[in-house]
Amino acid sequence: MTQYVLKRLAGLVPTLFAIGVLVFLFVHLLPGDPARLAAGPDATPETVALVRKDLGLDRPIAQQFVRFADGALHWNFGRSLSTKRAVAEEIAERFMPTFWLTVWSMAWSVVFGMAIGIASAVWRNRWPDRLGMTLAVSGISFPAFALGMVLMQVFAVDLGWVPAVGNDSWRGYVLPSLTLGAAVAAIMARFTRSSFVDILGEDFVRTARAKGLDERRVVIKHAMRNALIPVVTMMGLQFGFLLGGSIVVEKVFNWPGLGRLLVDAVDMRDYPVIQALVLLFSLEFIVINLAVDVLYGLINPAIRYR
Amino acid sequence: MKPLVRLLAVALASLAVAAPALASKDVVFAVASTFTTTDPYDANDTLSQAMAKSFYEGLFGFDRNMKLIPVLAEGYTASPDGLVYTIKLRHGVKFQDGTDFNAEAVKVNFDRVTNPDNKLKRYGLYKIIAKTEAVDDFTVRVTLKEPFSAFINDLAHPSGVMISPAALAKWGSKDIAFHPVGTGPFKFVEWRQPDYLKVEKWDGYWKKGYPKVDSITWKPVVDNNSRAALMQTGEAQFTFPVPYELAQVLKAKPDLELVAAPSIVLRYLSMNTLQKPFDDVRVREAIAYAINKEALAKVAFSGYAVPADGVVPDAVEYSVKLGPWPYDVAKAKKLLTEAGYPNGFETELWSAYNYSTAQKVAQFLQQQLQQVGIRTRITMLEAGQRVQKVESWPDPKTAPVRLYYVGWSSSTGEADWALRPLLASESWPPVLFNTAYYRNDQVDADIKGALATTDKVEKAKLYRDAQERIWKDAPWAPLVTEELLSAHNRRLTGVYVMPDASFNFTDIDLR
Repeated sequence: MTQYVLKRLAGLVPTLFAIGVLVFLFVHLLPGDPARLAAGPDATPETVALVRKDLGLDRPIAQQFVRFADGALHWNFGRSLSTKRAVAEEIAERFMPTFWLTVWSMAWSVVFGMAIGIASAVWRNRWPDRLGMTLAVSGISFPAFALGMVLMQVFAVDLGWVPAVGNDSWRGYVLPSLTLGAAVAAIMARFTRSSFVDILGEDFVRTARAKGLDERRVVIKHAMRNALIPVVTMMGLQFGFLLGGSIVVEKVFNWPGLGRLLVDAVDMRDYPVIQALVLLFSLEFIVINLAVDVLYGLINPAIRYR
Repeated sequence: MKPLVRLLAVALASLAVAAPALASKDVVFAVASTFTTTDPYDANDTLSQAMAKSFYEGLFGFDRNMKLIPVLAEGYTASPDGLVYTIKLRHGVKFQDGTDFNAEAVKVNFDRVTNPDNKLKRYGLYKIIAKTEAVDDFTVRVTLKEPFSAFINDLAHPSGVMISPAALAKWGSKDIAFHPVGTGPFKFVEWRQPDYLKVEKWDGYWKKGYPKVDSITWKPVVDNNSRAALMQTGEAQFTFPVPYELAQVLKAKPDLELVAAPSIVLRYLSMNTLQKPFDDVRVREAIAYAINKEALAKVAFSGYAVPADGVVPDAVEYSVKLGPWPYDVAKAKKLLTEAGYPNGFETELWSAYNYSTAQKVAQFLQQQLQQVGIRTRITMLEAGQRVQKVESWPDPKTAPVRLYYVGWSSSTGEADWALRPLLASESWPPVLFNTAYYRNDQVDADIKGALATTDKVEKAKLYRDAQERIWKDAPWAPLVTEELLSAHNRRLTGVYVMPDASFNFTDIDLR
């Protein structure tokens, strides 16, 4: 097991390097001159030249890449072109708000999603199923920005229960995590349901029932372990997506997170920030996938690692 | 529940007679984007510069109607040749770090921005300065490289502020942006980049009795609806800009006041005069006639705009009223026929912005031009594309821009910066923004001449001539001048949006 994890971690290095090269090239291929953008609409050519020099964009592209790669090896991603602060600092400041929002959204959506999914599977085609799946389809179809705006109007503006924006207390987390989690809960519910429906028709479930186990034990102990594998995979994927920072939700609730940082960076062609963020997102996905693979073994001891 | 709490609070407060228990007055401003820097010399956005007015002041400034007023200066004299400006400074002003404001401080600030090694984004505005000398403690002599009559306006520009030389020496030219120290009414407390920037009342401010509030928190809230929600929940007391779509909603709230202020933001449609068919003045006139500006103001700006009545907006010094350009479809068709395009033609229509108001404008223009047979393909340019395809296109002859919807705000409040970057032949891209590739030698001469003279009458005459010629040549179809919509809580007074979209909050108070 340890060996397996180590092997996977070693595999990280070439992957990240390849991503780094691709991102660097891609970012520099974007149309638009960051020096011009940073200098502003009424800047003279001399000013633009000054800014270009200041940002180190006057050097040949190969040299810029070497600087980037060398820096990245030492965890130094340079300075943001627009704010001139260290990229690492910029990202660190935004990571935690996004992380906690992700954790809270995932927590409630996994609990509710799985509960709805299991209930729907157990009472298939009866009213709990109908109700649960109606909720789930609505959750998937209702766009996050609209949901966010409706929630804000009702609970912040009309009722005044929670602040409209701000992350300084737990109350600020309520609306954004509900908004962000709605789609995830819906996806989780549908996944759990279909996975359970399959499993509940398997031979070993029939055997368990035949030997006289009560239904609760059959569902929670026997079916759950097997049904959980695809659900956990999905969970990992969703977690990775959310950690990237939701652009829409962060915009609506003015969340100081990674999603907004990425949008701002792309707008300003802030090369160092875009590069570091894409690398970070890739790293997050790889680590989460690894964690998911390890979880498989814990859920179902029949799975072996090589 | 809430009224009960308030009642209790009032009761408690009235009991505690001994303590002068004035509630602290904390104001939150909800603004549309994050600040790029606190250093006005290194900022290119109006918002960052407006925010920096919390702690910085310049020698000169603008009042809320864009009228030039002395701030840290008491007055100035210009030499007859327009080269030497002698500025008298206000006495008894201190920086927030306790050091004195004097002529030496002015010299340090001007020397900093005029040194290209400091790579400041506002270098272009001040490079005209040849040298700055401190004559005595409160007299500064500035010598220019060439006569430049808009110089005092440059000093009044929100970027031209006085930073404490001691702080500059301590933090260096780059890091001063994280530790601003000026002479303004508020001192800097904290800047949490994505979240807020906070300033608090400074007791040593030279204008006694000011500021009247204890702190201001500048909160960037990107989303329009969220900003409006913040005003309704009372989490913010002032917000700008209010999108046109939300004007009605906020207007209906009893505790909010919606304000529409005149602006110097002119929206126009520039036409590439180097290319067929726009090289023919009749075609350009036809396009100007074909657009109903009144309807445009109603449709795209919800009525918060007025048809442009000149090439330079009203609030800008030396502007001349020439229009608005009449709406006359029949005349447009006639002109097109005369020019040899009885059935119109096909062309490109680009918008310099891609937000929703600009989309409405582009669609409206497309529909109007269609009426006279001009078929357009709309492209909404994103900032990067705009830079690449328009602003930094190297060769004027091959420039792909044709019809181009764009706007301009002359941030120095003076005609030079409203004309020279947009219509002088020296300003063709990639130098500046003459996207019409317009050239009229007499206009060039007028603009140059006006800069060289300090005689106001002569200047007004030259600028009038230039504007009339431009109007006649029609390199643009002038569209509208926008109004700036802001909202504030009725308890808040003394905060104004200025015509250049900067803020004036000298008299800010919270009841």
